[in-house]
Amino acid sequence: MSMFLGPLDSEARVPPRQQTRLAAFLISAHGALARQLALAVPVHLRFGWETELHAQFYRETEIVSLLMHATSWAPDPELPLFSLSWENAWLPKPAAGVTDWTQGLLIDTAAFGHALHAAIRPAALLPLEASALDPFVVALRRIEFESGRLMQAQILFLKSPQLLPVRDSVNAAVERRHAQVRELWEAMLGSIGLRHDQPASQQA
Amino acid sequence: MAYLSYGSHTIRYELSGPEAGPAYVLVNGLTQYAELWDAYRDALVAKHFRVVTFDLLGQGESDKPSLFISQDDHVAVLRLLIDQLGDGPIFLTGISFGGIVALRYAIEHGHKLAGLVAMSTFAELPPQLFLLGNVMRTGLILGGTSYLQDMLLPMNLSDAWLAPLLDKLESVKRQGWLVNDVYALQNLMESFLDFEPLTPKLNAIKIPTMIMNGEFDFLTPRPLHDSLRTHIPDSALIIVPRAYHAFTLEKSALTADLLARFAADVMTKQWKGGGSVWIAPEEAGGAIEPFPPGYDHLRALPIRLATT
Repeated sequence: MSMFLGPLDSEARVPPRQQTRLAAFLISAHGALARQLALAVPVHLRFGWETELHAQFYRETEIVSLLMHATSWAPDPELPLFSLSWENAWLPKPAAGVTDWTQGLLIDTAAFGHALHAAIRPAALLPLEASALDPFVVALRRIEFESGRLMQAQILFLKSPQLLPVRDSVNAAVERRHAQVRELWEAMLGSIGLRHDQPASQQA
Repeated sequence: MAYLSYGSHTIRYELSGPEAGPAYVLVNGLTQYAELWDAYRDALVAKHFRVVTFDLLGQGESDKPSLFISQDDHVAVLRLLIDQLGDGPIFLTGISFGGIVALRYAIEHGHKLAGLVAMSTFAELPPQLFLLGNVMRTGLILGGTSYLQDMLLPMNLSDAWLAPLLDKLESVKRQGWLVNDVYALQNLMESFLDFEPLTPKLNAIKIPTMIMNGEFDFLTPRPLHDSLRTHIPDSALIIVPRAYHAFTLEKSALTADLLARFAADVMTKQWKGGGSVWIAPEEAGGAIEPFPPGYDHLRALPIRLATT
């Protein structure tokens, strides 16, 4: 098993089967986050941080759209089963230990967003030789690059003074979402022949 | 490679060299990983040291806490590692961020150490360093690890080191880019948001301490190292010629040799600290010369000290 996508074709492109499974995972996760954000963005913005939420909603949608257009799709009979488990995992689950149900839900959404943008590094899967002209390659690089900025809204919220009283719950929610996202990401990578090195404590 | 548990987290470390030998523990800088000490491990093991390298919590193959990490965590991890090393002499060194961790360990647990080497490090955050740190954090957030590397390489390494690598910088940066996650680096940087100056506590470090500063280090310039020298009683400042902040990468043979010589001097009771100032040789094995008396070692120009 390799740590990187491939073997690349004669034009240094990622095999369509790998593109399909990878893009489907990312579309599922970013699409779920976009749906959660769509519900969280109020019709009329009242707080400054809600503008970040609004911006992120469109960024997540852009990622979904970009992957739909940039991926060389191939038939993948196993995809429906994978998708089912992914979609089930992304369902909102209010952070445990937070009495305010709405706040618990917001924490979970932010934790999910943090995990998605922090733990998933699609560009790190690309071998050095991958074509810089290929739209799928550029899309993965763009998604990873934007993730560093997109996660800031989550960090600001999750580390905000207003959540200090429930910091342990916040930490638990973020760690839970990280573990969940990583586990599904690793499993998906394994299904397309990739080995992703990780610390021993995070190995199943 | 071995793993150590710290709470629910796992720390990757490596122990090399003879079990009975004096130990050297090497602490990484911010964007580093354990393998960057390979040349030191080989050089020190050849001189019969036992060498410990590891990835800090939040780095490389150690666990990366998702949101919250404090400098206390690093000191606690170091304590767990050092507690494994038995009763022989233990020397601790760290560079930059790792130097702060080493200083903090020495302040709190100095009795467990035979000696300390602080390299390209600091005990306080004056405005220039504070603002540079903010710029690096913003750079990381806006441009990712690769942009941070692009900032740090020309700041911290010499033209002589960079010139032959200019056309393959991407491959030089790649391993660091692969092992460093943006969120984990950001967490490490944000552990400075509540940084309290260590200067008032430095006099608690009673052990022999060698402080190393690159001649041209402008990220952590000489006054920051001089503050360590004047507050740590049994210390000496060694200025590394033609060196920048990351001289451990650029001058590994020389630095490893100086580490070994420091430990040998301490163990044979020939160490002379006393707040002295020295100039390291250009190459490993050369003579360490005293800084010329009568001149100000804080200046780049040969300014004579004011006579009183």
